[in-house]
Amino acid sequence: MADIIQTMILGMALGGVFALMGSGLSLIFGVMRIVNLAHPALIIAGAYTAYWGFRLAGVDPLIMLPVAAFILAVVGIVIYKLVFEREASSAKYTQMTVLLTFALAMIVEGALGTAFTNTQRVTSPGYATDAFFIGEVFIPKGQLYAGLVSLAIIGGLSLFLKYSNFGYAIRATTQNRDAAELLGVNVNLVAMVSFAIGIGLAGAAGALVSFVFSFFPAKHWEWIAILMSLVVLGGMGSILGTVVAAFLLSIVAAFVGDFFGATWSTMTFFLALFLVLLIRPQGLFGEKPELA
Amino acid sequence: MAINDTSSVLEAREAYNAKLAGAHDKTRIVWFPVTLLAVLLILPALQFAGNYNYVLHLVLFTACYVIMASGWNVLGGFTGYISLGHNVFFAIGGYFAGMIFARYGISTIILAPLAGLLCAVAGFLLGQIMLKTRGPSFIISSLALVMIARILLDHWQFVGGANGVALPANDLPVQWAKLPYYYAFVLLAAFTVWACYKIKHSKFGLGLRAISKDEIKAESAGINTRLYKQLAFAISAAFVGMAGAIWGEYLTYIRPNIFTIILVSVYMVLMCILGGKGTIAGPVIGAILILAFNEFFVATLGASEINILATGLIMALVLMFFPLGIVGTLAKAGKLPRILNWD
Repeated sequence: MADIIQTMILGMALGGVFALMGSGLSLIFGVMRIVNLAHPALIIAGAYTAYWGFRLAGVDPLIMLPVAAFILAVVGIVIYKLVFEREASSAKYTQMTVLLTFALAMIVEGALGTAFTNTQRVTSPGYATDAFFIGEVFIPKGQLYAGLVSLAIIGGLSLFLKYSNFGYAIRATTQNRDAAELLGVNVNLVAMVSFAIGIGLAGAAGALVSFVFSFFPAKHWEWIAILMSLVVLGGMGSILGTVVAAFLLSIVAAFVGDFFGATWSTMTFFLALFLVLLIRPQGLFGEKPELA
Repeated sequence: MAINDTSSVLEAREAYNAKLAGAHDKTRIVWFPVTLLAVLLILPALQFAGNYNYVLHLVLFTACYVIMASGWNVLGGFTGYISLGHNVFFAIGGYFAGMIFARYGISTIILAPLAGLLCAVAGFLLGQIMLKTRGPSFIISSLALVMIARILLDHWQFVGGANGVALPANDLPVQWAKLPYYYAFVLLAAFTVWACYKIKHSKFGLGLRAISKDEIKAESAGINTRLYKQLAFAISAAFVGMAGAIWGEYLTYIRPNIFTIILVSVYMVLMCILGGKGTIAGPVIGAILILAFNEFFVATLGASEINILATGLIMALVLMFFPLGIVGTLAKAGKLPRILNWD
């Protein structure tokens, strides 16, 4: 029994981090219909920001989190201005942007690899290797904090989307871009800001990732499929769906890892991605199979 | 003449079509690709004059990618389904032929057609599943396919896991050791380009191009889109698989990180996009340019990370400014040199 609870807790702790990693992706898809394959690469960029903050100045990654988020958000605005603004009129927009973000992922990976080499890094604040014990069950502090912070950020984002005027505009654009524009929403501004928020979330997730996983620039290929599986299972564009899917899949993956060994736990995500695309392409919370 | 007698009209139309096709044939310069092939076939004679193994390697490497990029083009260019997972078939071909070669000593050059057949079957079956998705989700599912293949090959002990299997090198003298693979790749590349031409100009190819323009309209025009797409998937997989089969023996080892790294499939995609998706000459030009560029970068800078950065940059710039690729952009402007018009 303790084993089952233990596996469950480890899965949930990871789920929290994955939820934040995926929610930016989901937001960007919802508003802009961009499948951002560069998201994990940008998460790693955020992780490096936190890593160097910790290594050089000894700043705690949790304090570096807003810094990483801000830097990445600025990067997001630059990318949006340079690349996606001019692609908005492209005929095969979604397909085009997938390839473009793929190229972007390679650019980020190459730049990070050139600057920081491909050695494995991990930020190691005291709590990263510490744990709480409740009876026989232990909860790793690093993953717990990361999960809680990530849920707090997602909660804040949901409140912003739900109650602020700008969040209202974002949701309107997600639902129907043309109608929102007709009703006076500045769709371009909304797209730019949500792209910046999405990439900023990648930066924030990066700061958490930096002490939960070890990372190196080429690692993002593995994460692409993992994050895609969350977003697709949750329903593209639904942040709630992404969070639910993140917890669901992480827990399943933790059990799979427990039974069959760690290598197969990542397989859970890939197989889930495959199955969802085939059986229910709109995901759990998606309204219509827009992607299919 | 009865008013409902249409045979003369049909005859006249047929004659007119034949005349048009003939006129088109005359503008096509067949001698150029043929001469190119002939030059490549006598190129190994250089070995009598000195050691030109590096030149042979470059041609062979380019031919390998011409096969893969042209194969990818059948699905990605003609049909419009962008797959980032075609290196899976590279791996299937390489592992299938490589394992038989390691166990029974049958040359992979003989096994290549079999490997191609196996990949065609695999492609047909995978297509049955994956082609249910479309556009971006097809791209995502193809990425997931690579990840799955990677994990499976890394942990399948029968094929050596992550360490792979070493294959015996042939016992030809160093000077001539590359020759069998050289001819195999060059001839296979020539065959692939010819086959792509034939496919593009068949009714099947017309159907594929209709699917890439508008799948629903193609379906309502009576094209069996499912079957067509699956066949396109199978054909493109077969070419990639054949290239993979010989590539393993040429390198003398098979290992997951040769076949399943994402860069291999990125190269296929990038070559087609740079050269011109859906054209015959495009993948060839793309392969030559990308590999020349790659060789230059590795030779001058030596860093694979900068190479990834540069590859990404080229891909982004081409997508943003020349989405039709070199051949497509030139053809649209009416400035395509006649020797490059292979369509």
